[in-house]
Amino acid sequence: MSGPLIGYRGVVLTQAWAGAFCTELLGIMGAEVIQVEVRKRPDSWRGGYDAPIAARVAGRTEGQHSWNNSGLFNAVNLNKQSITLDLQTPEGMATFKRLLPEADFMAENFSPRVLGNLGIGYEDLRQIKPDIILASLSAYGATGPYFNVPGIGGTIEPTSGMSGLLGYEGGQPLNSGSMFPDPVAGWYGFSAILAALHHRERTGEGQYIDLSMMEANLTVVGEAALEYALTGQIRGPLGNRHRTFAPHGIYPALGQSEGGIGGHEQWIALAAESEAQWRTLCGIAGHPEWLTDARFADNAARKANEDALDGAITAWTATQPRDDLARALATAGVPAAPVFDALEVADDTVFRERGLITEVTHDEAGAWPQIGVPFRLARTPAAVTRPAPLQGQHTAEVLARFLGTTAEEYEELVRKGVTGSGPPD
Amino acid sequence: MGALADIRVVDLTSSIAGAWCSRLLADFGADVVVVEPPEGCPLRRLEPFAVDASTGERFSIAAAYVMANKQSVVIDEANGEGAALLAALIRRAHVVLTSDASGRTLVEERPDQVHVSITPHGLDGARAGWAGNDLTAWALSGWASVNGLADRPPLKGSGSNASMVAGIGAFAATLAALVARDRDGQGQRVDVAETEVLATTFSPSMLRSLYQGRPEARDARVDMTTGPVPVRDGYFALTISRAHFWRDAMNLLGLTDLAEDQRFEASWYRQQHRDDYVPRVEERMAQWTKMDLFDALATLRVVAGPVLTMDELTANPHLRAREYFTRPASGGGADPEFPGAPFRMSGTPWHLERPAPRTGADLEAVRASAVEPALGGDE
Repeated sequence: MSGPLIGYRGVVLTQAWAGAFCTELLGIMGAEVIQVEVRKRPDSWRGGYDAPIAARVAGRTEGQHSWNNSGLFNAVNLNKQSITLDLQTPEGMATFKRLLPEADFMAENFSPRVLGNLGIGYEDLRQIKPDIILASLSAYGATGPYFNVPGIGGTIEPTSGMSGLLGYEGGQPLNSGSMFPDPVAGWYGFSAILAALHHRERTGEGQYIDLSMMEANLTVVGEAALEYALTGQIRGPLGNRHRTFAPHGIYPALGQSEGGIGGHEQWIALAAESEAQWRTLCGIAGHPEWLTDARFADNAARKANEDALDGAITAWTATQPRDDLARALATAGVPAAPVFDALEVADDTVFRERGLITEVTHDEAGAWPQIGVPFRLARTPAAVTRPAPLQGQHTAEVLARFLGTTAEEYEELVRKGVTGSGPPD
Repeated sequence: MGALADIRVVDLTSSIAGAWCSRLLADFGADVVVVEPPEGCPLRRLEPFAVDASTGERFSIAAAYVMANKQSVVIDEANGEGAALLAALIRRAHVVLTSDASGRTLVEERPDQVHVSITPHGLDGARAGWAGNDLTAWALSGWASVNGLADRPPLKGSGSNASMVAGIGAFAATLAALVARDRDGQGQRVDVAETEVLATTFSPSMLRSLYQGRPEARDARVDMTTGPVPVRDGYFALTISRAHFWRDAMNLLGLTDLAEDQRFEASWYRQQHRDDYVPRVEERMAQWTKMDLFDALATLRVVAGPVLTMDELTANPHLRAREYFTRPASGGGADPEFPGAPFRMSGTPWHLERPAPRTGADLEAVRASAVEPALGGDE
C-alpha cells in the first residue's frame, strides 16, 4: 500500500458522479473510503434494480445483478468499500453514528435539506467527531434562494454558463456528451478535502465545505464572465476554433467516411499557436505556397480568412493517415493529436504505460481496463487496489472491524432490513 | 486565514493549467510568485483584450482571470543577477510549479520541496515530447468523440475548459503532496499530464463503452434527453434522472398519460424509447419561458436547467444572495467583479486579495523578502 493519504479514512454518503468521483480520488490516493449506501434509494448510477445488463458483461459469471454491473457506477467507485445502512431506521442511524468517530472526513452530495432532515448536519457530526471534515457537494450550495433546488450535471451545465458556450460556431447551445460538470465538481471536492486535511494537520481543526456545482463550474468558464464584466460582450459557441490562434480545429483524416453516423471516424486535431508552428505545419503539409499566400501571411490574416484556411487544411488532412500525421506534427512542435473514441482510449498504449489505465477485475463484471491514477507522485505513488464494490459487499467486515459486530448480529440487521443488498424486501 | 497560509509557491509555468493551479493555491492562502520572462508570460498575449481605463493600456482578459492574486517578477535567466534571484526564490519555496516538458531541475532539489510538473502528456511515455494544448486534450481523452453532433466533426469543450480542469488536477496533486509532507516533512516530484486529468473525467463513458462493446458516440440530434432544447425565450435542459422528476415534470407539462405510464420511470427505459415522448414533451416545453419553467419545476423539486448567459448569471439572484461575484479586496473597488470561490471552506475561506499584477510589478518587494532575509539566514 502506498499513496499520500494512507492512514486517513472517510465514511461517506456520496453517489452518482460528482460525489462518487470526489471520494474515489481520495480512495485512489490511499485513503480508506467506506461508502454508505441505502437500499431503498439506490445510487442512481447503479441503475434500477431491473435495468438490463450490458451485452459484453452479461453472463460472465454466476449470480450477476444489474446494480453491480453498471459501467457508470463501476467507473467512479474504485478503491472503495460499500456498506448498506437504512438511515431512516433507528438502528441504521445509530450504526452510522458509531462509525463516524473512525472518520477523518465525511462527504455527501444530496440536496442540502437531506442531512439536516436526517439529523446529521455539520453541527451534529461535530458533536460526534469534533475535528471532522464534512464536504457537501450540491447543485446550488447550502444557502441562497436555490439551496433546495436539485440539479444534476445535465442541468448544471446550462445553469453554470457552460452550455451557452459549448457548440458549433453560430449554432445552438449544447450539453457535453457526458455531463462534464459532475467530474469538475468532483475534482474540486477532492481538492477541498485535501486543503482541509492540510489545515487540520497544522491546527487540529476540521471544517465544513459547501460546494455548489453551479459556482464551481462557473469558475471554469470564468474568463467569459470576466469578459462580460469588462467589455459587456456575451460570448457564444466557437466550435473548435480559438479566440486567438488559427488554424485551430478538428479535421478529417484518411479513411473518414461521409455522413458520420455508422461511418468510420478518423479525425485529427491540430493547431498553430505561433508563426514557427505555422511554418513547420506548412512544411509537413508540403504546401510551401501557403507561406506566401497573403490570406495566411500571419496569425491575424489566418484568423480573418479562417474558412478558407480550414478548407485548405481539410483538403490536405483528408489524404493523410491520422496517427502518422499527428505524430509528425506533434513531435515537430505543432500541437496535434488523433481524436480517440472511447475504445481507442481504453486501448491506448501510452495511457497504459504511464499507469493511467490498468486492468481491474470486478467481482461480477470481470476484468476490464479502467482509468485510475490521475497523476504520479514519485515518493508516495498511488494505485488502484480495489474494483468498485458490490452493493453492501463490506458491511459485515466493516461493522465487525470497527464495532465488533458478530455474524449473528449482522444477520439480525439483515433480517430487519437495516442492511443487506439488492431491492428492499 | 487561508488553508495554505503557510505555503510559498514559485510558479514557473507558462500555461493556463499551470496558472489556474497557482491561482487556486493563492486563493486558498498561499504566497505565490509568478516568474515571467522579460517579454511577459505568453498568457498575456491571449485574446480577448480589454482596456485599462486609467492607463489606456490593453490587457488580456484571460491573463487577468488566471493571474489574479499573485505577485509577478521578471527574471532574465541569462543575466547573473536574475539567476541568483531565481535560485533564492526557489530555495525558499515549499512548492515549485513548472510546465517544462523536459522536467529539468532549476536548482538543487530540496528533499522537503514539492515540485509539480504540469505538461500536456507527462514527463515520460511515448508522447512525452509531443506538443499539445487544450484542443489535443479533448481529442486524446475521448471527450471530443462524444461532444457535438453525429453528422458534424467531434467537438472540444468551450474556451480553455480542459486546461482549467487540468489546473484543478494540478492543484489537487500539489495538495496531496503537501498532505504527505505534513506527516513526514518530505517533499516529492509530481508529474501531472493535462490529457490524463481530462481523461479521468471520461472514465464512465469509457467503461460503459467497453461493457457495450461499441464506443459511445455523438448524438444524431439534440433533444430533451441529451441537452438544451428551444423554449420561448432561449434554451432549456430537462435531462431527467429519477422517477419522481419524470412524473412531476410530465404532470406540470400537462402530459398526464406519460406521467402515469410507470414504464417511463426507469431511466434506461426512457433512453430506449425516446421517440415515444420526446416530440410531445418538447412541444409543451416550447410554450414556456425558461425562468418560468425553471421556477415551476424548482417548486416541485425537479432537476431542470435554463441556459444562462453571462449577463444573466451576473444578475442571477441566487448567486447575488450568496455574494458569489467578488472584487479584489485591495483594488479599491475599481476592478471588475470576478467569479468567486469554487468551494467555500468554513474555517479557511477563499479570498481574492488582488487583481493580476502587471508584468514584473512585484520585483522589488519580492527581491527584498527573498534575497535579503535569505542572506541573513532565513529558513
